[in-house]
Amino acid sequence: MDALDDIRQAKEIIQALLKAKKTIRMYPENNPIYIKTLDDTFSKFDDFFDLRDEFSLKIRQYEILFDSEQIYHNPEKEDNLALFFFKDGLRELKFKKGLTKEELEEFLKIMVVDFDREFVDDDIVTLLWEKDFQNIKYSADEAFLTDDADYEAEALRQIGEDAPKPDELLKAYSDAFIAEDISDISIVNLTDRDLNMLVKEIDRDTEDKAGKLTEILFEMLPYTDNKPEYEDICRFIKEIIIYSIKHKDLKTFLSIIRRVSATTKNTAVNNSIKNQLSLMLATVNTEETIRYIGEILDSDTEISDALLNEYIELLDRNAINPFISIMGELKSIRGRKNVITILIQLGSKDIQTLAKGLHDSRWYVVRNIIYILRNIGDKRAVEYLLNTAKHSDIRVRKEAIKALGELKSPIGLQTLRDALNDADDSVRRSAAKALGAIGSETARRLIIEKISQNDFNNRDFEEKKEFYEVLSRWNDAGMIDFLTRKIKKRSLFKRAQRDENNACAAYCLGLMGSKEALPDLYNLRGSKNKLLRDHVDAAIKRIEYGE
Amino acid sequence: MENRAGIEIAKNAQDIINQMAVIIRNAQIHNPTNIAVQSSIEKFIATVNPLTDYETLELVLIGEFFYINETRIRFAMEYLLNFDYLIREFKKRELGSLTITGPLTGNDMQIFLKAFLSAAYSEDPFNAISDGIAAISNMTAGPLKSIKEEGEFDVKKHVRKTYFDAVSYTKGVISKIKSGEKVSIKKAKRVVESMVDLILQEEELLVGMTAIKNYDEYTYHHSVNVSILSVALGQRIGLSRKALTELGLVALFHDIGKMEVPPEILNKPTNFDENEWQIIKKHPSWSVRVILNLKGIDNTSMRTAIVAFEHHLHLDMSGYPKLTQPLDLDFYSKIVCLADQYDAMTSARVYSRIPMAPDKALSIMMERAGTQLHPILFKFFINMIGVFPIGTLVLLDTKELGLVYQGNTTFQDRPRVLIIMDSTGTRIKGHTVDLTEKDAAGRYIRTIIKTMDPNKYRINLAEYLL
Repeated sequence: MDALDDIRQAKEIIQALLKAKKTIRMYPENNPIYIKTLDDTFSKFDDFFDLRDEFSLKIRQYEILFDSEQIYHNPEKEDNLALFFFKDGLRELKFKKGLTKEELEEFLKIMVVDFDREFVDDDIVTLLWEKDFQNIKYSADEAFLTDDADYEAEALRQIGEDAPKPDELLKAYSDAFIAEDISDISIVNLTDRDLNMLVKEIDRDTEDKAGKLTEILFEMLPYTDNKPEYEDICRFIKEIIIYSIKHKDLKTFLSIIRRVSATTKNTAVNNSIKNQLSLMLATVNTEETIRYIGEILDSDTEISDALLNEYIELLDRNAINPFISIMGELKSIRGRKNVITILIQLGSKDIQTLAKGLHDSRWYVVRNIIYILRNIGDKRAVEYLLNTAKHSDIRVRKEAIKALGELKSPIGLQTLRDALNDADDSVRRSAAKALGAIGSETARRLIIEKISQNDFNNRDFEEKKEFYEVLSRWNDAGMIDFLTRKIKKRSLFKRAQRDENNACAAYCLGLMGSKEALPDLYNLRGSKNKLLRDHVDAAIKRIEYGE
Repeated sequence: MENRAGIEIAKNAQDIINQMAVIIRNAQIHNPTNIAVQSSIEKFIATVNPLTDYETLELVLIGEFFYINETRIRFAMEYLLNFDYLIREFKKRELGSLTITGPLTGNDMQIFLKAFLSAAYSEDPFNAISDGIAAISNMTAGPLKSIKEEGEFDVKKHVRKTYFDAVSYTKGVISKIKSGEKVSIKKAKRVVESMVDLILQEEELLVGMTAIKNYDEYTYHHSVNVSILSVALGQRIGLSRKALTELGLVALFHDIGKMEVPPEILNKPTNFDENEWQIIKKHPSWSVRVILNLKGIDNTSMRTAIVAFEHHLHLDMSGYPKLTQPLDLDFYSKIVCLADQYDAMTSARVYSRIPMAPDKALSIMMERAGTQLHPILFKFFINMIGVFPIGTLVLLDTKELGLVYQGNTTFQDRPRVLIIMDSTGTRIKGHTVDLTEKDAAGRYIRTIIKTMDPNKYRINLAEYLL
């Protein structure tokens, strides 16, 4: 192959690598641009290996050479491929024929590691070493690893000075003949059983190091002699706590906190140490810790109910605000559900703090807080919900109204009454249902008042029907009387509206199962209005046959 | 362009060797026509034959490792026994390679088995095999070759450099920590990786460097020696490269807390009193603090701290520091404990300028296996160090005096020996001899008849090894 062609191809490969480096960093693996870039880069190597077995590069600080020719040069420190390799000692890179696409991809992934910004313990040579590529080899300069270049020479010189005297050697030789003969050589045979036991031990050993180290630190704690020592140990324990939750290990986190908590109650432990540990317990409720917990809850990590409950027991009211804060950020249903569970338990101890979440700017957070307050069932929440029932978001208003109904506090009645006139029909219906849930006389009166108003007649039939349905929960003589008077009422005007109202009343009587209403219902059977006839028939059937 | 054949062979390499071992084991127990033998043959053929469509398959034994088509085959732990077994069976028959150029049949394998098994009784086992398999058109055999001495000088130089770089690095790290400077863990990993590479390629040479005992720089040498011995042991039990690096790293820092021990105690020439001993016993806890202050909490630092704390505890918790609750020792702690005890016993110390002979150290450790020391790991360790550990002073039946220079894991009583005095008792410059060498009549040329402690005569192994 023409040498110039070689150089040209080598330059193309370098350019392809540079381009691929940017692409690999920007796009995910399944992105078409990622895939195409990888294919293109690989094909450059492929073309090169058609006629040569090895693509060998010499790395210098600002340049890369191929066959002693410079194929890359960059005098800058930034974005310098040569310097990127050179700074960690890499001096030669060899790509061999047989290079696979997978190897190339892994190599490119090493190239995109930002060793300055990302916290990595490894340099590029270590990453290459760990990969142990079959078809990518390298040479590295190890000289920079040691600060003392003359150490070996000095050590050898010292060793040479310590040579034995000739007399000693002669003595050794003569003693050798009178020394004891060697006895039977014991060669220790390994059995399959030995091996199986060892494999099991190694498998077990991959388990939790964080928990193990914590145990060790607690063993060390009583033997600390001075403040810097026990401060260090407490700081390490705290760092392990953060490490555990960053690595989504809730179980270890909890076991450490449990241990910390137990130690603070141990009378044999020095007070200064206990104080340090108590500070650690306080971090459980901080926003930082809770954010990490939120990531765990939001992840695929399986968390049992027992584990979650154990975690909740550690929390106090200081955790409420951080959890409210993260609730709106969680992406998964499971995550939100877990946080809601947590807040139901925590919030029951401090309704006031929980209720502050009702002022959150995110409507879905507000709705969740209402849901939580509902589930807590503490009537004290009503006063905080009154304003929320007027929230700009319909979904929030409905949830608040529902909560007012379930909490059954008379304080909410006025608000519910106002909600009966809400601009949105679903809100109005919710308000009616809420009044029904309260079930008091005042609530009944409010609904009856509403349906007796003229504007109610203009409402959609289904809405009216729902209002009447709510009335059915007051299944007493008074209600029956009210409804039967309704259906007996005659009017010459607005017959359609009247028939609709009668249909609703019939429906309600049917739900109530009141036999007393049957005669009046029979009278309506002959109505010319089909809607009314259908509802009357249905009501009669219901009353007569319980259907 | 992808080397599909190479990839396929690499993927199946472990299985090829493992299955061959299984066939031979089965054939040694059962009749070759037995169903167990037949089915293992079928499995082997099913693996090998498709590969031979693409390429010739060459299985070669070099030293203690198998290579297939020039690629060294590393094995996972579960293959260890079979690999080890096959190496021994090959060496017994002086068989160095098998080349398969095309598909094999069941009949071919029966012929091979017959030749292989009967060769064990032959006076010329290799030729017996070679003749025996002549009828197999797609298989040929090659003799076992000694590892050549040429190029050994460069390898020794490289091993030496790696070793002393590690000692120098350790010294530098301790000095930096003492002065509060930042320490590069990246460099530490690079140092350990170099050692791991050498353990994988030239285990005995690097392990041999641990026989060099420099009292003045004991602390640094000891850290490196424990690291090397631990990695070598880890390699024997089949740990991965990454695991070996981690092991080497934790072993390198296992005694880092000793820098907090006052020098007048650490370097005391006589026995410690009770107070001094209590101070020494604190070094595992001090190590934990040093390590975690150095690096913060991550997987490696946690493991390093755990091993530093545990390595004197002993398996039965009879060591120190004393605990309120027994701990289940980390696996690496058990390895480092072995390496640490061995190196400490065989090193010149302030209070004992004449170190213990390696075989004496091993016999003491053998008594502790099962109580202080992990018994299975100890078996691996003793097999690794050898019946005649490197540095042992030996008298041969030829009246030559020598130092064990390089072990032989297959024939443990036949290491390579560096001759330091000839049969007339004259000191000579020193050449190495392989005790597996035989004369024309098939008898071993040299055999060890006596062993002695070289330290008693201030025979400096270092002078000869370097």
